[in-house]
Amino acid sequence: MARVHLSNVDKSYGSIKVVHGINLEIEDNEFVVLVGPSGCGKSTTLRMIAGLEPISGGEISIGDRVVNNLPPRHRNISMVFQNYALYPHMSVRENLGFSLKIAKQSQAEIDKAVDEAAQILSLTEYLDRKPGALSGGQRQRVAMGRAIVRHPEVFLFDEPLSNLDAKLRTQMRTEIKKLHQKVKSTIVYVTHDQVEAMTLADRIVIMRDGYIEQVGTPLDVFETPVNTFVATFIGSPPMNLLPGRVMNAQVALDGGPVVPLPDQFVGKVKDDQAIILGFRADNLMPVGYSMPMEGTHAEFDMNVNLSEPLGTETLLFGSLAGKEVMAKMLNPRPVKNGERLPFLLDLTRCHLFDADTQQSLR
Amino acid sequence: MSPRFRPPAWFVLLLPAIIILAAVVLVPLLLSLYSSFTPYRLTRPETLYKWIGTYNYEKAMKSAHFWSAFGRTILFLTVALNLEMLAGLGLALLVNRVTYGQRALRTIMMFPMMFSPILVGFQFKFIFNDNVGLVNNALQSLGWTDRAIPWLVDGQLAFFSIVVAEMWSSTSVFAILILAGLFAVPRDPIEAAKVDGCTPWQSFRHITLPYIMPFVYIALAIRSLDVARAYDIVQIMTNGGPARRTEILWTMIGRTGYVDAKMGYANAMGYISIVLAIFFTVYFFRKLSAARSVLGMAG
Amino acid sequence: MNENLKHRIQARILKIAHFVALFIAMAIICIPGLWIVLNSLRPTVEIMAKPPVWIPTELNFDHYVAMFSGVGEGGVPVLQYFTNSLIISVTSTLIAMLVGMAGGYAFARYKFKGKAVIFIGLMLTRAVPGVALSLPLFIVMAKTGLIDTHLGLILVYVSLNVPFTIWLIDGFFRQVPHELAEAAEIDGCTRWQAFWKVEFPVARAGVASAGIFAFLTSWNEYALASQLTRSTFSKTMPVGLRDFTSEFTINWGGMCALAVLMIIPALILTFLVQKHLIAGLTFGGVKG
Repeated sequence: MARVHLSNVDKSYGSIKVVHGINLEIEDNEFVVLVGPSGCGKSTTLRMIAGLEPISGGEISIGDRVVNNLPPRHRNISMVFQNYALYPHMSVRENLGFSLKIAKQSQAEIDKAVDEAAQILSLTEYLDRKPGALSGGQRQRVAMGRAIVRHPEVFLFDEPLSNLDAKLRTQMRTEIKKLHQKVKSTIVYVTHDQVEAMTLADRIVIMRDGYIEQVGTPLDVFETPVNTFVATFIGSPPMNLLPGRVMNAQVALDGGPVVPLPDQFVGKVKDDQAIILGFRADNLMPVGYSMPMEGTHAEFDMNVNLSEPLGTETLLFGSLAGKEVMAKMLNPRPVKNGERLPFLLDLTRCHLFDADTQQSLR
Repeated sequence: MSPRFRPPAWFVLLLPAIIILAAVVLVPLLLSLYSSFTPYRLTRPETLYKWIGTYNYEKAMKSAHFWSAFGRTILFLTVALNLEMLAGLGLALLVNRVTYGQRALRTIMMFPMMFSPILVGFQFKFIFNDNVGLVNNALQSLGWTDRAIPWLVDGQLAFFSIVVAEMWSSTSVFAILILAGLFAVPRDPIEAAKVDGCTPWQSFRHITLPYIMPFVYIALAIRSLDVARAYDIVQIMTNGGPARRTEILWTMIGRTGYVDAKMGYANAMGYISIVLAIFFTVYFFRKLSAARSVLGMAG
Repeated sequence: MNENLKHRIQARILKIAHFVALFIAMAIICIPGLWIVLNSLRPTVEIMAKPPVWIPTELNFDHYVAMFSGVGEGGVPVLQYFTNSLIISVTSTLIAMLVGMAGGYAFARYKFKGKAVIFIGLMLTRAVPGVALSLPLFIVMAKTGLIDTHLGLILVYVSLNVPFTIWLIDGFFRQVPHELAEAAEIDGCTRWQAFWKVEFPVARAGVASAGIFAFLTSWNEYALASQLTRSTFSKTMPVGLRDFTSEFTINWGGMCALAVLMIIPALILTFLVQKHLIAGLTFGGVKG
């Protein structure tokens, strides 16, 4: 059983609290990603799970044991570091087998485990090289190999792909996902890249300033963000947010058009309430170049300032209610800067947030 | 002489150094070599021109005094250098873990390096003095003994006292260099080792130690350059005595040359000691390159 | 839970042990020096007292006064020794720095055949033990009339310091990017000006630390000084201390005072440049 349970976990450096009362239950075999901007406490939390940072308050359990004061080597975990942390004076084979050597396993067992890991990660031809002679991607795989060789209860990944170039990153992302299916362990993964989080996670934990903002499946956090932070953090391009007011069962955008109140929010808002309307670029499309919209939708004109052709669709930058918003155009034709086009806004997929609390009004 | 002869810049820059060293070291060394083949005595200058071949060297090889001094010197150096290295390592590890006030500790650690060996010798001569020395007074006040222990007179105790003095003087060199080495050890592999299951001792042995070996060898190499500092210490603490019980190679050379005035013989012994010193130095420099390349290739 | 508690206790015990060990180590380092200072201020009567007196009842500067007046204890010309040491050390340091800077710069900036050989040769001269070198030097200097002169000892100390100075300064100049000098030359400086205005200031810290090392080597040197000096005209402090100790083995207080006088300049210098000293040792070593 390899569940990880964090209960009211705090972390302070001197008088500065950096992690506030984290509560998290990670199930056996689950791939959980901690994601958030720099300084949100995700790495610190991971390191506390690993035992590399002492806990200032609360409790952490791995499996059935409370591990608060246990050093890393007693927690039955493996970790892949951001900078790989390979042992530079040892060959790849020795790097992979190091933990087994320390555990005093027989040479035959060590060799078998090392060869197995090397095969899974396509490292067999590099086994006798030293890390200095490897490329970034190869080093990354050695770091992962070192982690899987021990068959721990929990794998920890600390931003392992940040130092790779974009193409390698997408490649390695797939490798990690395949690895999870093959090795079947609990994984706790930290990244600042929301695309990585979305593609890898069974569940995402979004953090900010030491607090957990939302926990859910990728689809959950994408479709029902609990506040504006999550709404803009997840999804690329980020969600458009426009301030406005509820008036007569309608949403009047500040300095912009009035749109009907989306059905899902009827009864959840008060008249004259200051709100923020949120919608993604995929939900705002020009007439004639859009997806069919069956439910309630709004129609208005908008100036297009800039267009970014992406191939199958074009990203349009326009001004609405005094702000810049992004829209998408399907089966596009070239658009001139400054062109004014009629747009359709799919209200069934819109979000409303309270302007004061930033919380979702769903 | 071509008027267009312009020596390259580096040559001009190095010339003063080369000239001075040639004059003050090379020429005397040659003279020393030559005079070791003569029975030169200061009191009878004409003996400088008489050639007796390897007589002096053979005399040294057959002399019990010489071998006893030589053996004592080797023993002394081996014991002292090893102990200094271990103590320096220990001290560096202790100081490395301190979070606040490391700079103050480093400054304190440097004190012994500032002391002239003569000064160090004097300190311990005082401390180990059988009558008024700190050690004996402390032992007596604590009631652990009631006689005056002859730290500087008894053959073995004196050896011990001199080793203590030498260690006090030079452990800092090791400590500071190893501390710098510890500073340069990357943090990540150590954390990885912790996760991989290493106890603190294991992560030290497998990860930290290879990293600091170059620094250990640098320290050994630097120390080996000064291997004759012991001369100063022994001169003031015991003067090679009493009755030659603490005679080391260099005090013997000094005594033979200046007290007995047997210059030729002294020079022969001196040359042997030079070879010894150079051997130590080259040995450690080689180890240094080897340790560096192990890291360099992998770094 | 038990496991957790055990580890917590372990960690705490380790912390205490660490502190105690450090304390003992620092005490061992400081006590001898402090003991000497203390005893230089105690009257001889108290130093020799049996049973030993641990808490000093009286502290005074008598020994220092006696030392400086020079006549009381049979004449130890302390001031003379001090001045000799000062003159010789400072002069030899300055010269060694100039020679060393030139040499270090040559090694750092130029490639030439035989570089490694020359370098090794220079280092090996330093490996020659002082006593062994003093024998032939004595003969040579006797013939050239340099025995018992400031100049003789200065020359010897310069040669003693040059190799290490070159090593350190080589290391430091390698840290200075050569684009600086090139930029200065493009701006109109000659090579000479470029060096003094641009490269030297950047490497100043290293040069200073090399200077401190050289000064200390000269200040503390005994083996060569003991043979190449004959009278108080040129005897240096280490020689003076040793002679004094041999002659006056009862006057511990006075000797302690002499020792303190010898260590004070070195300590002051250390304080001033301790940061650079460590850099000097490690830079020269790692890059060398």
